[in-house]
Amino acid sequence: MSDLPEQLRLPLVNVLLCVADDKLFLGHRNSDWTGIAPILEADIAFSSLAQDDIAHASAFFELISSITGQNPDQIAFGRTENEYRCADIVTKSDQFNWAAAIARQFYCNIYDFLRLQRLSNATWAPLANLAKRISAEQVIHVDHVSSWVDHLGKGNADSKLRMQKALDDYAPYASMLSEAPDGINVLFDGGILINEGCLFTAWKEYVNQIAESASLTINVEPCSGIGGRNGKHDEDFTRSLAELQEVFSTDPTAAW
Amino acid sequence: MVSNEDIFKILGTIPDPEMPISITDLGLIEDVFYDDTTIRVTVLPTFIGCFALPTIAKEIEQKLSALEGITSVEVNFIHDPPWSTDRITNEGRASLAQHGISVPDSGAICCQEGETEVVELRTSAIPCPWCQSRETTITSPFGPTRCKSIHFCNACRQPFERMKRV
Repeated sequence: MSDLPEQLRLPLVNVLLCVADDKLFLGHRNSDWTGIAPILEADIAFSSLAQDDIAHASAFFELISSITGQNPDQIAFGRTENEYRCADIVTKSDQFNWAAAIARQFYCNIYDFLRLQRLSNATWAPLANLAKRISAEQVIHVDHVSSWVDHLGKGNADSKLRMQKALDDYAPYASMLSEAPDGINVLFDGGILINEGCLFTAWKEYVNQIAESASLTINVEPCSGIGGRNGKHDEDFTRSLAELQEVFSTDPTAAW
Repeated sequence: MVSNEDIFKILGTIPDPEMPISITDLGLIEDVFYDDTTIRVTVLPTFIGCFALPTIAKEIEQKLSALEGITSVEVNFIHDPPWSTDRITNEGRASLAQHGISVPDSGAICCQEGETEVVELRTSAIPCPWCQSRETTITSPFGPTRCKSIHFCNACRQPFERMKRV
């Protein structure tokens, strides 16, 4: 892309990979529920969420491809473990516990939505346009998962207990969503992205508001340490990546 | 030499694979470029994850390749400008309504923050395409295709689908 200054390309690719990898793996995990979600509508919804997330990831891989010239499939499936930039919450298994699936989705969807809104203000038009388009779809995800959190929080003592436990279990991983990607400040300084303040604070406010109205509490601390955004992943990620690369590593040219 | 009119006439005969509407009435065609031997069509997907896109591309390629002198047809999907329900023609709206698919009125495009969609989904003011009653509720924001939600009319006790406003 000739309109991108050379020194901003690598940092931008890094930030775009965070978005694409989060969505690729979350979509993959959500597809686990196809056919077995608690009710038919929830089944269709989770399959649709998975389909959307993987399609959004694909659109971001294509955008990255327009910068680096690499094949989008190669970017999605052909990297080594430390080259992936997702926060590891997206590969954390829910053990087929519905409340856990909802908690993971709740934390990730709202983070994705707020991040996309900020990317919509990017000064590089191809990114801003894509982020705006995906935001319009992402808002439906946020609405859906929020209504589930509300539903379970207000259901009965058992559903509330399970929802709260799931929110607590995922809390340490949720904090890693906001780990700063390498090079984000270069993009702020370079004028590609606009620094709109702490994304974690905005996210916390958003999730708190929904949780509070369902008498649930969010106990997520700000991110500390180095994790997935900088290529340091855990064993759940390794397992998910192996699953995801199974076909590609057998035949990189395989098509549907 | 083909004309713009020839091309659109053919595109107008291609149905959307998932709905009773042509791809032109659905507002998918953004641009057509052509010369003596080549046609390039730019298409806007309704939703990014729509499964029907490869089918639509194949249909367009097959139908337009049949035009005299044309040796190459290229279909490109783009996201800018974004597709919106405002692009559906009046003929298209009538055809969808006949099949129980409701479409948001044009002009009230989704705002950039995306809040309109949620407000619309959660209100009960969505008219039933069968009996026009507004006593309806949403069953799920995720329906049989990526672009539709599922609703239920409490007046005529019928389910119906609605194109999601994006």
